[in-house]
Amino acid sequence: MPAVLTHQHHIFMSQQILILSQSHLEGATDAVCQWMNHLRIPHLRVNGEDFFHFQSLADLPDNASIATVWYRRKINSFPVKYSFKQPDFQTQYTIKRFLVDEFNGLHAYLFHTIDRPKWLNDPLSEDNLNKLHVLALARKYGIKTPFTEVVTTKAMIIQLLDTHPELIVKPLSECIFLEDASGGQYKMLTKTISPANLQAVPEQFFPSLVQEKINKKFEIRTVYLEGTCYSMAIFSQNNQRTKEDFRDYDTQRPNRTVPYQLPAELEQQLHQLMQSLGFRTGSIDLMVDMQGNYYFLEINPAGQFGMVSYPCNYFLEKKLAQALHKNIMHEEEIHQ
Amino acid sequence: MEYLNLYANCQLVKGANMSLLCDLQLRKFYHLPNDTAEVLTFLQQGSIDECIAHYGEDNREAITGYIDYVISKELGFIDNRLLTELIPLDLSWDRYSDITNVIIEYNNGIDYTGNFFRELFDLHIQGLEIRYYQPATLDNIRALLEVFNGTTLKYIKLVLPYDEAVTLPVWDRLVKQYPRVKSLLLHTAPVNKVEKVFDGSVSVACFSSSINSCLACGEIRTGYFTANMELFTESQHHNTCLNRKLSVDQHGYIRNCPSMRENFGHVGDTSLQEVLDNPAFHQYANIRKDEIAVCKDCEFRHVCTDCRAYIENPQDRYSKPLKCGYNPYTNTWDDWTEHPLKQTAIAAYGLEEIIK
Ligand code: SF4
Repeated sequence: MPAVLTHQHHIFMSQQILILSQSHLEGATDAVCQWMNHLRIPHLRVNGEDFFHFQSLADLPDNASIATVWYRRKINSFPVKYSFKQPDFQTQYTIKRFLVDEFNGLHAYLFHTIDRPKWLNDPLSEDNLNKLHVLALARKYGIKTPFTEVVTTKAMIIQLLDTHPELIVKPLSECIFLEDASGGQYKMLTKTISPANLQAVPEQFFPSLVQEKINKKFEIRTVYLEGTCYSMAIFSQNNQRTKEDFRDYDTQRPNRTVPYQLPAELEQQLHQLMQSLGFRTGSIDLMVDMQGNYYFLEINPAGQFGMVSYPCNYFLEKKLAQALHKNIMHEEEIHQ
Repeated sequence: MEYLNLYANCQLVKGANMSLLCDLQLRKFYHLPNDTAEVLTFLQQGSIDECIAHYGEDNREAITGYIDYVISKELGFIDNRLLTELIPLDLSWDRYSDITNVIIEYNNGIDYTGNFFRELFDLHIQGLEIRYYQPATLDNIRALLEVFNGTTLKYIKLVLPYDEAVTLPVWDRLVKQYPRVKSLLLHTAPVNKVEKVFDGSVSVACFSSSINSCLACGEIRTGYFTANMELFTESQHHNTCLNRKLSVDQHGYIRNCPSMRENFGHVGDTSLQEVLDNPAFHQYANIRKDEIAVCKDCEFRHVCTDCRAYIENPQDRYSKPLKCGYNPYTNTWDDWTEHPLKQTAIAAYGLEEIIK
């Protein structure tokens, strides 16, 4: 507590930081909470799993006692299972979808009961993030993006390959992981299309996002937090196996990950982009081509910041805890 | 013009004659002559051609050899400029706990569920080492491990006497039941060997000597060196042996480490806060390798875990670890137990028994 605050303000001490997360497999939340304990920052962690123990709506976190909300995750897994006596794949899937919608119906009520400005990231913007919109917005703020199109025919691809030697195809939504009945696992990754493998492309297909392939020197992942960019360069070029997508981890020869400073102008543009989306934090993917041009790729408002924090020794978990704490102190000053 | 860009997490540490290039990401280190280190340092400000011009054409081959070495180990890359956007690594260190590591010398008579231990494990301790000098039953070990369920403890190392009745499958079951147990050291074993259980994730090391007191601790060996971000950054600011460490010896006394002379009370009647508030408890926490005699000239100083319990001159808290045989001025390793100048300290600590 800063010394300037008088004892009067103890009545507001009941205000705390609300952390919405999940009970398992969330190391980032664990670390931020541990920093909060250590720095004695009042906080309440509510995991999606906890909703299953609430007796009534009155048990939901209450607006008055919350100074600020960090919405990290919804839930890891439902602590209950429902199935038909003779389950088949289709009904299982339908039930699962239904339960997800039911849970979201309750969880998203918080977006309305807790004042919107209290959310570190605007929750509606975060839950409805659209890749094409974000790319258009980035261009509006003067940030270069790779040429992007959504196409449905091979003819169009052939036409695009006239101007761009290689294209990549990637999902408009998120990459998924698939598992077949025998336990085989399939990981969706970014794929390249060039005249060499064009014959594999069907004449017509589901609307798909294609992008010009950038001949990259390295990738950059930036964690944006309250106006500051903490960036990391990822060198994967000398490693053929991860040339296209650094998430395809290669344990033998890991990518080199080192701290990086973006140009001030780009940082300012990213700041405007994040502000326009109502995000005070998030991770941003960029790419640098051989000529040193920066390309914006995407924003992940709940991105894994541990993968930037640890290699660059940025202590982002601590900085996030402190940034959230400032919101409580700010509230107290307003009440003064 | 070509330039050599060295990755920021590859850090050069200069010693009296030799240097160490520490790859903190891949956790490796490379021992280099100081001449090589000097060239690499030059290349952080000038081009390869400028470097050759500076050291003379005669050294061209040597210089390009050093650069090839750096590239082959993936410690850097060549570009047409020095990328200033690749900013230096911030070497600050901090942790979210007042105590990060704990050593317990087990004693049947101590209640490990008492207040002191509860407060201690509420602190988000990361690592715990439990040392059994005497044989213990599996039930007894399980009962103790139960105490740490529900804490945020990340890993437990168990040190205990070898027992031929307890086979690898038994250990496998135990570590699966208590997944915090990440390594086992079985002393007084028939042979030295390392085996793995739990799908190779937990090592069971058999050690033929007996460990029946803490006098055997504090040995400095190259095998113990670790090049990683945690140790390297902590070593810049703190003592790597005692900073934020706490031990409870076999009689229940609270110490910085079981081998240290001073104690800060007994677990039966001391609160953790009292210990943390005692300035004497922290007196060694900020003694850096850069300040310790001899170590400050040693290229291994930031990959080497210090020892403040056994030092060459027990009267001088800044003297070199007694159990280190390395001489950074000659770059040779000798048997520390035979060093004539160490005999007084060996006698003072009563170590004659264990080094015979
Ligand atoms: S001289 Fe010091 S730093 Fe070097 S190896 Fe020995 S104890 Fe470690």
